[in-house]
Amino acid sequence: MATTAAAVPTKSRGDFEEKEKEKDVRTSNIVAARAVADAIRTSLGPKGMDKMIVSPNGEVLISNDGATILQSLELKHPAAKMLAELAKAQDIEAGDGTTSVCVIAGALLSAVAQLMAKGIHASIISESFNLALNKSLEVLTNMSIPVSLSDRASLIKSATTSLNSKVVSQYTNLASIAVDAVLSVINPATAVNVNLKDIKVIKKLGGTIDDTELVHGLVFDQNVSHTAGGPTRIQNAKIGLIQFCLSAPKTYMDNNIVVSDYTKMDKVIKEEPKLILEMCRKIQKSGCNVLLVQKSILRDAVNELSLHYLAKLKILVVKDIERDDIEFICNTIGCQPVANIDSFTADKLGKADLVEEVSTSDGKIVKITGIPNPGKTVTVLCRGSNKLVLDEAQRSLHDALCVIRSLVKKKFLIAGGGAPEIEVSQQVTNFSKSLAGVQSYCVRAFAEALEIIPYTLAENSGLSPINIVTELRNRHAQGETNAGINVRKGAITNILQENVVQPLLVSVSALTLATETVMTLLKIDDICTSR
Amino acid sequence: MSNKVLNIDGERISGQDVRNQNVTAVTAISNIVKTSFGPIGLDKMLVDNIGDVTITNDGATILKMLEVEHPAAKVLVQLADLQDQEVGDGTTSVVILAAELLKRANELVQRKIHPTVIISGYRIACTEAIKYINEFLAQSVDSLSKDFVINIAKTSMSSKIIGDDSDFFSKIVVEAMNRVKSIDYKGDVKYPVNAINILKAHGKSAKESTLVEGYALNCTVASEGMPKRVQGAKIAFLDFNLQKTKMKLGQKVVVTNVNDLEAIRDRENDIVKERIQLIIKSGANVVLTTKGIDDLCLKYFVEAGAMAVRRCKKEDLKRIAKACGGTVLITLNNLEGEESFDPSCLGQADEVVQERIADDELIVVKNSNKKSASIILRGANSLMLDEMERSLHDSLCIVKRTLESGTVVPGGGAVESALSIYLDNFAATMGSRKQLAISEFAESLLVIPKQLAVNAALDATDLVAKLRSYHHAAQTDASKKSFSYSGLDLNNGKVRNNIEAGVLEPAVAKVKCIKFATEAAITILRIDDMITLFPKEKGGEDDGHGH
Repeated sequence: MATTAAAVPTKSRGDFEEKEKEKDVRTSNIVAARAVADAIRTSLGPKGMDKMIVSPNGEVLISNDGATILQSLELKHPAAKMLAELAKAQDIEAGDGTTSVCVIAGALLSAVAQLMAKGIHASIISESFNLALNKSLEVLTNMSIPVSLSDRASLIKSATTSLNSKVVSQYTNLASIAVDAVLSVINPATAVNVNLKDIKVIKKLGGTIDDTELVHGLVFDQNVSHTAGGPTRIQNAKIGLIQFCLSAPKTYMDNNIVVSDYTKMDKVIKEEPKLILEMCRKIQKSGCNVLLVQKSILRDAVNELSLHYLAKLKILVVKDIERDDIEFICNTIGCQPVANIDSFTADKLGKADLVEEVSTSDGKIVKITGIPNPGKTVTVLCRGSNKLVLDEAQRSLHDALCVIRSLVKKKFLIAGGGAPEIEVSQQVTNFSKSLAGVQSYCVRAFAEALEIIPYTLAENSGLSPINIVTELRNRHAQGETNAGINVRKGAITNILQENVVQPLLVSVSALTLATETVMTLLKIDDICTSR
Repeated sequence: MSNKVLNIDGERISGQDVRNQNVTAVTAISNIVKTSFGPIGLDKMLVDNIGDVTITNDGATILKMLEVEHPAAKVLVQLADLQDQEVGDGTTSVVILAAELLKRANELVQRKIHPTVIISGYRIACTEAIKYINEFLAQSVDSLSKDFVINIAKTSMSSKIIGDDSDFFSKIVVEAMNRVKSIDYKGDVKYPVNAINILKAHGKSAKESTLVEGYALNCTVASEGMPKRVQGAKIAFLDFNLQKTKMKLGQKVVVTNVNDLEAIRDRENDIVKERIQLIIKSGANVVLTTKGIDDLCLKYFVEAGAMAVRRCKKEDLKRIAKACGGTVLITLNNLEGEESFDPSCLGQADEVVQERIADDELIVVKNSNKKSASIILRGANSLMLDEMERSLHDSLCIVKRTLESGTVVPGGGAVESALSIYLDNFAATMGSRKQLAISEFAESLLVIPKQLAVNAALDATDLVAKLRSYHHAAQTDASKKSFSYSGLDLNNGKVRNNIEAGVLEPAVAKVKCIKFATEAAITILRIDDMITLFPKEKGGEDDGHGH
């Protein structure tokens, strides 16, 4: 098992040494978790670097996203695993700041190690951290700025901040694509959440990231069925989505048709075309000219014969539609899936101005554009020059979408560039002075730990971390709450003027999740291996 | 060791080590293809693990065969592949350029410049370079003489095995391309490379390769009794079997009476006979099918004097159908639920003939005015034929890009030297650390003319310096503007105006080459940590991969 590094003593010991073991477990947990935090520290911030991970089966992943890195690392130490979980939780909750959350947790753990060395009991540390957390959240909320969803510029700014640390940072188009995508699937006046499933991201190799585009409509990864040479471009499309098969039916039980007379042979042979033709006729009668066919594993969703008929009837066919995509497609084009040929009627069809097949260097795609009532779903067609960049672009886009979602959930912005962390750190330090005893000591340690974010930012940007952090403290002490590290200029400026902003939710959730994880880790005093 | 603390089942390298390692791997890759670059570049012979030999000059092909393992080097292999797909040529130069960019970036990092600064410098340089190409270097094809297309084809062939016969082959390529020209619904002119069928036949010399005005199929007529030449052909395209009818699975014929046996057999034959009658009645005198025709059915065709060819490739059939205006049928069923053969599905051709080339017989569908072309390559051995095919493919792609995009740039290192001078000057206007990155980018571009000169056994330092001075003059002195087309003349070791000399490349290819190389270099440059997880031990719990 992987707990070797925990070095759990197996020999039975006396009472006194039991105490020693507890300490060992905690130390080992802290060491393991901090190692993880240290490992991804270098990818924090706009000047953070990427990690290249080669998986056991030889696949290569290049990423800057904390959650992605930790997930693919296959960590073994249980405490380290908790940190990976933490990053994942932040990914689900806020979608961005997955690296920061781990770095904060790592710094808090260092603080814990020091406090414990001083002989402070774990439960007191835990309690005081909770106290400090509440105070921090208060500070964060106070320094936030309300934002309206109609303020497109601000939204783009925050998406840009999130994308800054990624390989795609120079491509300005992604931020506006993310904002436009989210804004077009929600009603900005009333929305309180965004269903990111309404935004479909399709990857296609070739071109560069500049060629990424937002499609108000649908894009299918597969091509139009060419088997029978049907049409590949249809204007004023009426789109039908079927979940049944256009092929000869099969019974569930093993069956045999016995022919005993040669005259009946013709009948048997002609039966299949007749049946399929009848179905195709029904489809045509409803006015449908584009047919999407759901994938079927039991039998052929469409066979050559039905494709032939549909081609003759000038109906464009896209086959192998995944079951999971059905809902998305229905929402987009306003059609209803049809499970039985008898219910295939005109009112179940969706409409679009144009359905066409487009060639890319990596095969063909089908685009459906010009949908009458857009606004429920959008598709982003992601392009990139190699698979690694493309994958990373998709992850970055996801982060940017999440950032906008966070803003929809909680319509407040906060400065970036380490400004909130320093401000919180100072205010919490002040707060600690109002407390007495051990608690005050712990709260103060918490406050100091938060300085890790500006420290790391400065370090990753090749600036002198100590100079920067002390100057930041100074500026904040003078009341400049929005002073932060301007990585581009390598100096401290009012970060709001530099348009570096992030959603409040990201910071709040990062701080809460990190503190809670640390508190959980603190409470562990033994690791038992159970089989 | 950090991986001990991290507790992962793997190895971790970070910081400068990983950067060095990546750069070493990438340089190794570029060193392999380097010597095959340019008109005087040489070929590589690759032997794979089952002993198959490939001889090639094409960067993408070499790298694909190498089975590179290092992840950073793999990025370069993908890069060459992408260039191959998007442009079709310039695969070697893109790899050399990316490797050079990385090498120089790594030197900058060692001089304590942050990778992100280099990255943004490279990005700026890349955008500026592309802007400069489009504004100053690209020439619209309208301003050039008519034979520019031939020159483009010649330039791309010059480095290949067929370089010596480039006069001959460039004509074939251009003519083939013009034959398949088509205009799509938007009014865009398209030149589908796929529509040109390249066939290889052993024997004779490369110069005896021919362009066939029509489509050549690597098949023969199904029966000796059939005519070998049909003029004014009406062709039926079938995608189904013409065999005795078999009952489908789950359908059984049970014979209870001996007399019925014969009747059922007859019926089985009659069903297919009726089909054939339908086809012949519609006026078809040539029948091409992707599936089989059994001997019984052949008889009917022989009787009707029609030519039948079985087991054609489906791809071929589709293209012939398109070129002849016919339709490939996968069944005879019509919309009334009956079987029929619509004469409008027939394709027309001037002549369908079986010809003997070397040891093989080919069916050629000749069509003087329609959109199809086939090139029959001749050569001494299969290795040579394969390489000729790849070279022709490259040339076809290049001609296609040029004709579709309509702009060209001079070859022979002209663009790179011009950009290098321009970016060097541009770097001087930047007041930050990016300046260093941009001037390194400018320096990196010179690797192309340098390598060209080195491969040609010329004095690279001397020539490149001369080339740079020409471009410098072009950019500073308005009267010497024509100097900006100066490139290398590798046969004579001189600098000349490459537009006049007819050494041309499509502008798109250059732009994409620079874009892709920069993007790949950036991807690798951003990595400062590499974690390699060990493969899982086999046996024990199966992870679902199913070994």
